[in-house]
Amino acid sequence: MTKNKLYIIGAFVFLVLLIIPLFYESTFVLHMYTLIFFYTALTAAWNIPAFGGQLSLGHASFFGIGAYTAAILYVNYGVSPWIGIVAAAAAAMVGGLVLSLPLIRLRGPFFTLASIAFAEVLRMIAIDWRSLTNGSVGINIPFKPSLMNLTFQSGMPFYYISLALAVGVVYLTYRIRSSALGFHLRAAASDDEAAKALGVNTTLTHFIALMWSSGITGVLGLFYVFYIYVLEPQTFFSLDLFSLQPALNGIIGGMGTVWGPVIGAILMTPLGEFLRFYLGTIQQGLNFVVYGLVLVLTVRFIPGGIVSLLTPMIKRKKAKKTANLPKETEVA
Amino acid sequence: MDLYVQVLVSGLLLGGVYALISIGLNLIFGVVRIINFAHGEMVMLSMYLTFWLNHLYGLDPYLSVIIVLPVMFVFGVMFQRLVVQPILTTSATMKIFTTVGISLLLQNLALIFWKGDFRTVRTSYSMSSLEVLDIIISVPRLVAFGTALLSIIILYAFLKYTYVGKALRAIVEDHSVARLMGVGVEKHYWFAFGLGTMFTALGGVLLVPFSSVYPTVGVPFTLLAFVVVVLGGLGSMSGTFLAGLFIGCVESFGGTFVSPGLKEAIYFAIFILVLLVRPQGLFGKGKGTEEVGLK
Repeated sequence: MTKNKLYIIGAFVFLVLLIIPLFYESTFVLHMYTLIFFYTALTAAWNIPAFGGQLSLGHASFFGIGAYTAAILYVNYGVSPWIGIVAAAAAAMVGGLVLSLPLIRLRGPFFTLASIAFAEVLRMIAIDWRSLTNGSVGINIPFKPSLMNLTFQSGMPFYYISLALAVGVVYLTYRIRSSALGFHLRAAASDDEAAKALGVNTTLTHFIALMWSSGITGVLGLFYVFYIYVLEPQTFFSLDLFSLQPALNGIIGGMGTVWGPVIGAILMTPLGEFLRFYLGTIQQGLNFVVYGLVLVLTVRFIPGGIVSLLTPMIKRKKAKKTANLPKETEVA
Repeated sequence: MDLYVQVLVSGLLLGGVYALISIGLNLIFGVVRIINFAHGEMVMLSMYLTFWLNHLYGLDPYLSVIIVLPVMFVFGVMFQRLVVQPILTTSATMKIFTTVGISLLLQNLALIFWKGDFRTVRTSYSMSSLEVLDIIISVPRLVAFGTALLSIIILYAFLKYTYVGKALRAIVEDHSVARLMGVGVEKHYWFAFGLGTMFTALGGVLLVPFSSVYPTVGVPFTLLAFVVVVLGGLGSMSGTFLAGLFIGCVESFGGTFVSPGLKEAIYFAIFILVLLVRPQGLFGKGKGTEEVGLK
């Protein structure tokens, strides 16, 4: 009963999201939704290694690799971004491979440090290797609207593309979590030694998770660069935007859960934009002060994220057999 | 030939300050076992403090240590008591996020209160230099190196010969054995944090005469200090010192002969390489590294 209700509500929300662009003329509203979908997908992809307890603060590296690969192929060689998807995913996975080398020996905080260092190295290389990346100036995607070029007159196609990406990636993480890989990851997260003793190759498990995560993040980077037309290292390898932000969304929503990233992205993206545009213009830096506070307080008082607050509520309601589920859990 | 010696000398001089900042981290990390992502912000705060003391009261940067060091010691103790202590028993993830949050907070509070301008302290000796055998040595960098070396020796003696120092070393080597031997492990946390912060702050003060102060000035130091500590080995003061000099030289040579934009990239690459090949560090004792995720 409850499960069917969940599906119905999910389908309803999805339908509403499908027709929203038909009613809103405002590009700002569409842009906001598009960003939320992008961050939902990005956070969900970041979350895959987090199932196994690996905390990356360097996902900007995969995002940037994917974006640069696709943009260079398109601008220099005229390769359609649709074909570029494969290249972007492959290149980002090579990045994931490099980052997973230290994983063989490292756990926990040192993996996090290595991931930050990795993204920083890539950012510096992107700035320095001018012949390939055009340095700090970056690469512009020429405006030639066509489906093949993934360039459109209006923002509407990207609304649907990002919606599809969000739904697709979240569904994928759901499948991964309930697959053998997901169980291995969760076993490794709760006790690495015990998981090993039971015959789980935890290093390989973390590696596969990172491969999925980096490949998806690379593809998201590709779509993002064709959405905003401009590619430069400070944005695409940005620690704040694409390394910290997905991690922040994930931890606030609930790291290592399927719905945590969704809730985190839905809450934090509009908050982030609001803070950037309103508080950020009143007083530069104020938005990050709020971010820092939210982060410290969330970790201190709700370490499991918002999902951990909602789960007992759902369970209680289920026990009471009342079908009135809290609305936030079914969004998207 | 002269160029190489020149580059080597400036690398070594800078490396001394790096070593000092990293020794602060080694102490905190070794004793309290927390990856403090806000370590660079301690450098930033002490640099700002020095700048303001000079700007408002005309205090010479080197003299300002008598105010900056006690203040930063207290700051470190407060930081440990209020931020670190409550999260000590939580997972590594929580520790990382808390200190990342604090780092964001401090950086942006600095941006709000002191604006994003690059601020410099002008002193009579900022630009002065010595010439020894055709090698040009900047005086403030030489002073920085000398002071760093001296304070590292003092710290080394302190750790070697005093009771508290021995207790701290015991804790770094093995928490549980130290506890079994009757060392109050938790009681030493605040002191280690204060002491580590103080040495880090001294590094910040020494940088002021020849570099600018701005809100994100500390960011590279967090990673840099971890690179040095990992390279030198957890709990090894002499290892940290040598690794600091090494990283200073890598930066100096990389900036001169490869590309100024890539100098940091080179030592990050070294960092990843060392983590891969010998995570207990080049001079590390290898003990206690399992606990912090190195194996």
